[in-house]
Amino acid sequence: MMCGGQGEGGGARGGAGQGSGQGTRSTLYYIAALGVLTLGLSYAAVPLYRIFCQAYSYGGTTQQGHDAEKVGSMETVKDRMLKIRFNADTAASMTWNFRPQQREVQVYPGETALAFYTARNPTDRPVIGVSTYNVIPFDAGQNSSSTHMKRFTCQCSSTLTQSLPMIPKMENIDIITLSYTFFEAREGLQLPLPQFAR
Amino acid sequence: MASMTFGQKTFTPTPPQKGSFPLDHQGECKKFMLKYMLCLHENKNKNSLCREQSRDYLACRMEKGLMAQEEWDKLGYSDLETPKNHST
Repeated sequence: MMCGGQGEGGGARGGAGQGSGQGTRSTLYYIAALGVLTLGLSYAAVPLYRIFCQAYSYGGTTQQGHDAEKVGSMETVKDRMLKIRFNADTAASMTWNFRPQQREVQVYPGETALAFYTARNPTDRPVIGVSTYNVIPFDAGQNSSSTHMKRFTCQCSSTLTQSLPMIPKMENIDIITLSYTFFEAREGLQLPLPQFAR
Repeated sequence: MASMTFGQKTFTPTPPQKGSFPLDHQGECKKFMLKYMLCLHENKNKNSLCREQSRDYLACRMEKGLMAQEEWDKLGYSDLETPKNHST
């Protein structure tokens, strides 16, 4: 997005017509300050962009901070039907077989539904997976009471086939695709425990 | 992949809002999952016709300690009756 701030070539114009030493030095300071500022902004851009994306669900990221209480007061709207399609991906180096158990689910808006994914580790070493998820179309990620998704982490070892349930609820759009992508976690990754960890 | 991660922070996963819950390693609730999948298959993937099965699955999960206890209406099942105690 932003480059490192080099190439501010036009700054030397301040030197003309002034005491040469004083003028060029202050111009130099200005240029240096501008360079540092741009560099700092480009570093800050990464977390700022992430925050912006989460706040406005730009590009399919879902909104954090859903009010869980809203689930209880949801009304089912029976006059339209939504199709939720499920997609499962793994990173290229990820050895799991990861697939959804159902191609799609038809729900009414305001209704909770259950969907299953299966992950299978065909290797003989334990593999820890971490997933990210995305929702298409992007609008589905930002409707007020929509797309309440569970993200899950999975520690799977030795060719176990596991079913991973998740609950979405949707509104306003006819076909929504929910996509999970699993990556292999690097060594030393700290996983947060569930609330009632045993 | 190693070159791409130069200078980036380590990825710390944030748990989902409703909490993560452990996998069903023993397959204790597999029977209910299969019932639900069968219902979906028979009903052309219409979730509204299979809500009792999905509720039964969640009830099994809660009973076996694979999921935090939640009120049914928090999960969106306020329109269904509380499930009776069912056998494994």
